[in-house]
Amino acid sequence: MTLDQLIENESGIIKHINDENLAIQLLAMGFILGEEIKVERIAPLKDPILITSGTNYISIRKADAKNMDIEKLK
Amino acid sequence: MSKSNIKNIILIGNPNTGKSSLFNSLTGLNQKVGNFPGVTVDKKTGSFKIKQTKITVVDLPGTYSLNPNSEDEKVAKNYIEKANEDDIIIVVADVTNLKRNLLLYTQIIDQGKQVILVLNMMDLLQKNNQEIDLSKLSNLLGCPVIPINARIEKGIEELKHAIISFQKKENSFIESNSSSNVVDETMLRFNKINQIVNECLIKKGEDKSYLLTKKIDNIITHKFYGYLIFLGLLFIIFQAIFSWSSYPMDLIENGFIWLSNFVADVLPKGVLNDLIVNGIIAGLGGIVIFVPQIAILFAFITILEDTGYMARVSFLMDRVLRIFGLNGKSIIPLLSSTACAIPAIMSARTISNYKERLITIMVAPLISCSARIPVYTILIALIVPEDSYFGVFNMQGLLVMGLYLLGFVAAILSAWVMKLIIKSKQHSTFTLEMPIYRSPRWKNVGFEIFSKVKIFLFDAGKIIIAISIILWVLSSYAPGTKFEEISEKYTTETIQQQHTEQEIESLIASEKLEASYAGIIGKTIEPVIRPLGFDWKIGISLVTSFAAREVFVGTMATLYSVGDEDNTKSIREKMMMAKNPQTGEKLYTTATTLSLLIFYVFAMQCMATLAIVYRETNSIKWPIIQVVYMGALAYLCSLLVFNIFS
Repeated sequence: MTLDQLIENESGIIKHINDENLAIQLLAMGFILGEEIKVERIAPLKDPILITSGTNYISIRKADAKNMDIEKLK
Repeated sequence: MSKSNIKNIILIGNPNTGKSSLFNSLTGLNQKVGNFPGVTVDKKTGSFKIKQTKITVVDLPGTYSLNPNSEDEKVAKNYIEKANEDDIIIVVADVTNLKRNLLLYTQIIDQGKQVILVLNMMDLLQKNNQEIDLSKLSNLLGCPVIPINARIEKGIEELKHAIISFQKKENSFIESNSSSNVVDETMLRFNKINQIVNECLIKKGEDKSYLLTKKIDNIITHKFYGYLIFLGLLFIIFQAIFSWSSYPMDLIENGFIWLSNFVADVLPKGVLNDLIVNGIIAGLGGIVIFVPQIAILFAFITILEDTGYMARVSFLMDRVLRIFGLNGKSIIPLLSSTACAIPAIMSARTISNYKERLITIMVAPLISCSARIPVYTILIALIVPEDSYFGVFNMQGLLVMGLYLLGFVAAILSAWVMKLIIKSKQHSTFTLEMPIYRSPRWKNVGFEIFSKVKIFLFDAGKIIIAISIILWVLSSYAPGTKFEEISEKYTTETIQQQHTEQEIESLIASEKLEASYAGIIGKTIEPVIRPLGFDWKIGISLVTSFAAREVFVGTMATLYSVGDEDNTKSIREKMMMAKNPQTGEKLYTTATTLSLLIFYVFAMQCMATLAIVYRETNSIKWPIIQVVYMGALAYLCSLLVFNIFS
């Protein structure tokens, strides 16, 4: 599944990022493949979303979240 | 000083690592802001001395890696690549987020550069229940590691010592060309970083650093309270600018009236006296008086950025701004525009999508900047009394807020139109770090206010004084013998019987002004601006405003000073008394004043901004479009307003 399908406070493991530029950017911001990712908050207008991985805390648009393959944690 | 006694260091690091605090601690006030060649990214340089060695410091824009994602990051990357082999690169890392921060370090090491790693925010590490083995980290990385706390200037001396005793050595992190793919290469780096961090960083308990931040975010980004807080903040800022600042402004105003009287009395009467009092002091006074308002505005903007609030506003506004072809990140340039369009347009560089960035640049000058404050203040005072209140709110403050709102709405709507016109296939993103909330670093706020006020006073001041002098010359001289003819006309007995001496003096003065070179220029453009309710004196101001909008006030001061020999009145009083020579009625009627206000909200009257737009877009096309569309908007709206109210 992809990251945009998670609701607030749900977590997953980052498997693959389909867009190469996005992957390079997210890696540099601390979102590393194989690590846990969590949706902290969804903006009042449903987009963008706030996500965390470790102590990294960023916002990202739904369209980009759709490009992130994850494995949902229960 | 011999060459060996000079060392160059370059500061680089992720955004929000306290790099600028460190830069300020190292260099103090011994710094200047310039530009990197070819681009308008702020280049902060400074220097300090230690044991006879002069150390020059360059502060690069914050960047996450050497794989640039924006103009800012490109500058940092290029600068590092071209760095001299003797330059020491200081990588500033946030120790509470070591893993991510080390990525940049490893990339720079693999460029074959000499590096000192600085770990900032050591105090927070303890609070997060963590400990770090510094000597082990230094051994594993193979470079000096200096722990600091830039906020309270701890570790700065140790860093300075490390800089002068630095020994060059060969070093690398991963084998070069081990992967052709950036993603794979980065993962390789992270794997190794992970091992190192796991060995050096000891977790003694749960990391609670983000708990408070997330709690605050529950309120700040709330679907209702979030927007309410934002509006409330804007409201407080505007009330502050117009009520808190009135006390120092009155002091400055009275000071300048006193000064011009003093100088007028002390210096011998004549042309020089007249030039200094009515040209230079009048122009200067019109500028210095706005320092309190500009300082307050920059203070607020710096605090909002420094605390981490601005990133949340961007997050809240992204979806809305996208409708208008903008980006959540546009909120920073748009809000900064309330201070000055120049830094605002430069801050648009963080927007990676070209179309969104271009639209932000194109509409930012529609947002009322601090240079309009002087114009608004003086014009509003002509139609709304100072002590007029709407409930508890100061009426003048409300009106100014209305003008700011008008500018904002115009910017948003123009952006929407441009979104439909400008074509782009580039993918748009909004990847923005939410920094942890922290109290503002007051020293940084102070530095920021100081440097912005300095720019305003000296850069703008220079132009303003030059224009004041030119204006004084243009309004004090006329072609041929025009002035003599006017003086002669009033020496006839019939006129002397009809008027008092004072009346004659002011009649002569106003006729002379009209006949002067300035009058001729104003009269030439008068037919064009007459439909808006403007006379030739306003016409002159519109022309001089092109240097900077606040010149309007100085121009008014100079134009109305000529003929006021006693210097007892403020500009406002002089304008209040100004008469329309044709009808004999008050010149600044509600219709004319409102029309003029609207004109200043919309018109593109700033050469400096146009120059920046030219450099940022790298094309003459965009500044020209900007002048034309904003000018047309200003003219049409002023025309409309004047006709409604007259």
